Amino acid sequence: MNNQPSAKKFLGWFNPLGRNPGSWAFIISRITALGLTLYLFLHLIVLGRLAQGPEAYQEFLALTENPVVKIGELAVIGAVIYHGLNGIRIVLTSFGIGVTRQAQLFYASIVLAIVGTLVFTIRMFAG
Amino acid sequence: MTTPSTFKPVSSPRPGETAWLWLVKIVTGPLLFLIFILHLVVNHYLGSTASGLMTYDDVVAYFQNPLIPAIEIIFVTAVVTHSLVGLRGIVLDMNPSRPALNAVTVLLVALGAAAIGYGIWLALVIAAKGL
Amino acid sequence: MSEKWTITLRTYRQKEGEAPRYDDFTLDVDPDEYVLDAVERVWAFHDRSLCFRHACHHSTCGACGMRVNGVEKLTCITILRDVTQNGATLKVEPLRNFPVVSDLAVDMGDFYKKNEMVDARAVLPVIEAEIEHPSSAWNPNDAQYIRLSDCLECGMCISACPVAATTSEYLGPAPLAAAQDRGIRRNPELLNIVDSEDGLWRCHSAFECTAVCPSFVDPGRRIMDLRKQVIGAKLGQLFGK
Repeated sequence: MNNQPSAKKFLGWFNPLGRNPGSWAFIISRITALGLTLYLFLHLIVLGRLAQGPEAYQEFLALTENPVVKIGELAVIGAVIYHGLNGIRIVLTSFGIGVTRQAQLFYASIVLAIVGTLVFTIRMFAG
Repeated sequence: MTTPSTFKPVSSPRPGETAWLWLVKIVTGPLLFLIFILHLVVNHYLGSTASGLMTYDDVVAYFQNPLIPAIEIIFVTAVVTHSLVGLRGIVLDMNPSRPALNAVTVLLVALGAAAIGYGIWLALVIAAKGL
Repeated sequence: MSEKWTITLRTYRQKEGEAPRYDDFTLDVDPDEYVLDAVERVWAFHDRSLCFRHACHHSTCGACGMRVNGVEKLTCITILRDVTQNGATLKVEPLRNFPVVSDLAVDMGDFYKKNEMVDARAVLPVIEAEIEHPSSAWNPNDAQYIRLSDCLECGMCISACPVAATTSEYLGPAPLAAAQDRGIRRNPELLNIVDSEDGLWRCHSAFECTAVCPSFVDPGRRIMDLRKQVIGAKLGQLFGK
């Protein structure tokens, strides 16, 4: 029947029309969560090379010079900073702090994530 | 006018997703965020390569300080727990059936235990390489 | 002298067993009238089969919540000038996440039951109300004075909530706000109702509910406060209080 809730409607979370900042905060947090979970497990696996000895690890280090890998790393950094700061927004608002400013807290998370990513971009490409 | 046939009477909300899991998320979250910031700084500034990354020898030397494997173990425990509790939350939002949810929970607990176990093992192995 | 605009009211139509469609009606309106007036005009002069809900026309009963150009509004207090312009099309649709009974009227039964489940207060002592500028020191005698709860039970928060879109089991902003108003400490039986799979923890702080609430409930803030109350209660249980 039309108009009723359904689990499939979670796809509607990605519809940007008519959204308030809080919804954006939620959606971006979810997307970064999924990306970071994937990265986490890959990262843990790759670090196993440390146990295999210096040559194995050196191979991996050589990979990190690849610009595509660097950009991937920067995406991870941006994602963690945003996700972490939004999480702090949730913690604060859940205890009554900053509820009236929750949208501004979201904007601040985005800005700081961009700033952090830029800092490491400079570090990784020009440091 | 008849009541739509798909109308379901409201029953009691299902118990089972409680405050504790949320607390785990909000305790591990800020904790791992702080450790992550340290992790970023250490791994991009304290290494001996041109870009500040650590070589194999750097890592082994770094792990000789007993505080480091301790923090790394806390880090891996917090981040794996946070990530998998969160992932389970996303699954919950898709209204799975109870058997499906239980299967996902078992899978995630197994995955989490394996990942944390592996992380602890790895940290100790690396520390031991310097002995 | 009042202005005259000509607008097209594009309204969602759906009767039982039929597919939904949109009907267009050309109307002459005064831009300082309300959206509800335009809908009523369509019913009165164009199509008597248009079904919609309304009662008080002064934002107290909560009956006339609809989506106006995609956004939840209480149509009796939504001025046409604020949502459309001369010559434009104004789209009116029923609230989301409720079954459509007929056209713009939706079935609110589930929602009322959830409010009953948490025993939502319709009236409360004025000293307990979270109002904007409370008296700095209430006199205990002031407890005899009661006021209507801010929640109109209009359901717009449920319509706007991204979580309520995915399940009809979620308690939803208004019932959770009502539970916060009653207070876990005063009413410990509420704890297991809100601290559950379809309760409090489904909220993901989107604050869409607060954005659309036409009254002063601010459900988002109340749900945040309820989290604090629940954590406090759970920790209290743990330490044997």
